[in-house]
Amino acid sequence: MSKRLSVTLLTAPAMILLLGVFIIPMLMMLLLSFQDENQAFSLHNYLLFVQDPYYLEILWRTIRVSLWTVLASLLLGFPVAMYMAQATGKMRGIVTMLILAPHLISVVIRNFGWVVVLGEKGWINETLISLGLIDQPLRLLYNELGIVIGLTDSFIAYMVLAIATSLYAIDPSLNKAASILGASRARTFFSVTLPLCLPGIIAGTTLVFSLSMSAFVTPALMGGTSVKVMPVIAYEQIMATLNWPLGAALAFLLLGSTILLVTLYTKLIETKRYKEVFAS
Amino acid sequence: MKKINVLGLITFFVLVLVNLPFLVIIPSSFTAAGYLGFPPEGFSWQWYEMILDRPEFIDSLWFSLKLATVTAILATLIGTLAAFALSKYKFRGSGIINALMLSPLTVPSLIIGISALLFFTRIGIAGTFTGLLLAHMLISIPYVVRLVLTGLSSFDYTLEKAGYMLGAHPFRVFWDITLPLLRPAIVSGMIFSFLTSFDNVTVSLFLVAPDTTTLPLAIFTYMQETLDPLVASISSVVILLSLVFIVLLEKVYGLERLFGLNSQSH
Repeated sequence: MSKRLSVTLLTAPAMILLLGVFIIPMLMMLLLSFQDENQAFSLHNYLLFVQDPYYLEILWRTIRVSLWTVLASLLLGFPVAMYMAQATGKMRGIVTMLILAPHLISVVIRNFGWVVVLGEKGWINETLISLGLIDQPLRLLYNELGIVIGLTDSFIAYMVLAIATSLYAIDPSLNKAASILGASRARTFFSVTLPLCLPGIIAGTTLVFSLSMSAFVTPALMGGTSVKVMPVIAYEQIMATLNWPLGAALAFLLLGSTILLVTLYTKLIETKRYKEVFAS
Repeated sequence: MKKINVLGLITFFVLVLVNLPFLVIIPSSFTAAGYLGFPPEGFSWQWYEMILDRPEFIDSLWFSLKLATVTAILATLIGTLAAFALSKYKFRGSGIINALMLSPLTVPSLIIGISALLFFTRIGIAGTFTGLLLAHMLISIPYVVRLVLTGLSSFDYTLEKAGYMLGAHPFRVFWDITLPLLRPAIVSGMIFSFLTSFDNVTVSLFLVAPDTTTLPLAIFTYMQETLDPLVASISSVVILLSLVFIVLLEKVYGLERLFGLNSQSH
């Protein structure tokens, strides 16, 4: 069999699937998003979005919630990654398993667990009330806080892994050299460890941000009906209102703004890094 | 030493947090009370018996198991074939094909779901098993391709050559030499595809019909209306089922390696 024939035969099933279920449908969706009520080509749906404060507020909320999620998973995930980098074989394995395994279990079920913990009759509220610390249950769910807690739980594994991978790659003798030269622990951390694991932090933060922006299940279950984010309103336009062109446009606006923000962020950090390199 | 202890403490706290949902769900599924609460009151199997009275959950469980199994087999098959081509032959456009194979990972599930619904409605397979199967295969294939490619990157082709030289038929070489050496990568691709399909919500959401729904979606829909210990008992069943596959995955391939690969591809 010729090489060309083999390649074609081997890749054909996968390529047909990609074309039929991914590329062609996406192009159709893009075209549809530019359709107005009369099925004519127009920017109608996109203009509608930009001119309506209701939609802009929802986009801003989606960004805000994602940023809080990034911050929470960075603050909680960084120490875990540091611990993993310092731990010995067996302990590292246990921590890795315990942080990754939950990630493979349905997000609906994890969110349900959080409802049991955070709900008005949930574990936290019941405990605080029985201790006499509060007399009204705290509102921990069905608001932005609930979404951030759910998203952080869902995506922290990505942050930990991205940072841990870059920490594993740091040569331990660099830390030793810093301390021999008289640097304090803090100084070593800020001048050696942090700059060297910056790629991991950038990877982790952009990943968690992108995933949070497009998350649907967690905001739907833990945000409640009044606190909506972009994926939720896109879903409603498609499945409830049956305004498919607007739903498609909303989904692409979300994707576009995510890409834009991530690009700006990485550009900003990289420029800053170049400056630092040239200054020293 | 003090620093390590602080890190250890935070790590312990985070590990408890990410596992907290499961730590509360399983006990609260055994509650004797008629409402959802933690800590649970008393002990009973009533909420497990209750599952048997809810055909929608039983049906969707079988549906999900069937869907995930077929997805895993087909996605692994065609993903492995493509990975073989990409690894074995140098050809023009291989970079593009490789990037294309992984691209479903980089596009939000929301967009994959909407666009599939759009196209499937046009060709008349929206809301069918076939439609769901195709979409689930699409989101599983990147993992299979990636895993098998990693397996092939350290593959020693001289072993195949040795087989040929000893007069083995190409099929025999493939079956007795190539396949056994790649088994961990292929098997873990299959397990991961199964879990991806079994747990998926966002893509399935757009493609299910009322009579053919997947288990996570049945739970999702039920949860939006009622919160009772029934959700806890069904969830516990899913947790146990998923755990079996996670332990398998860890044994066959190692979770850390699996996720190292997962995070690079985004």
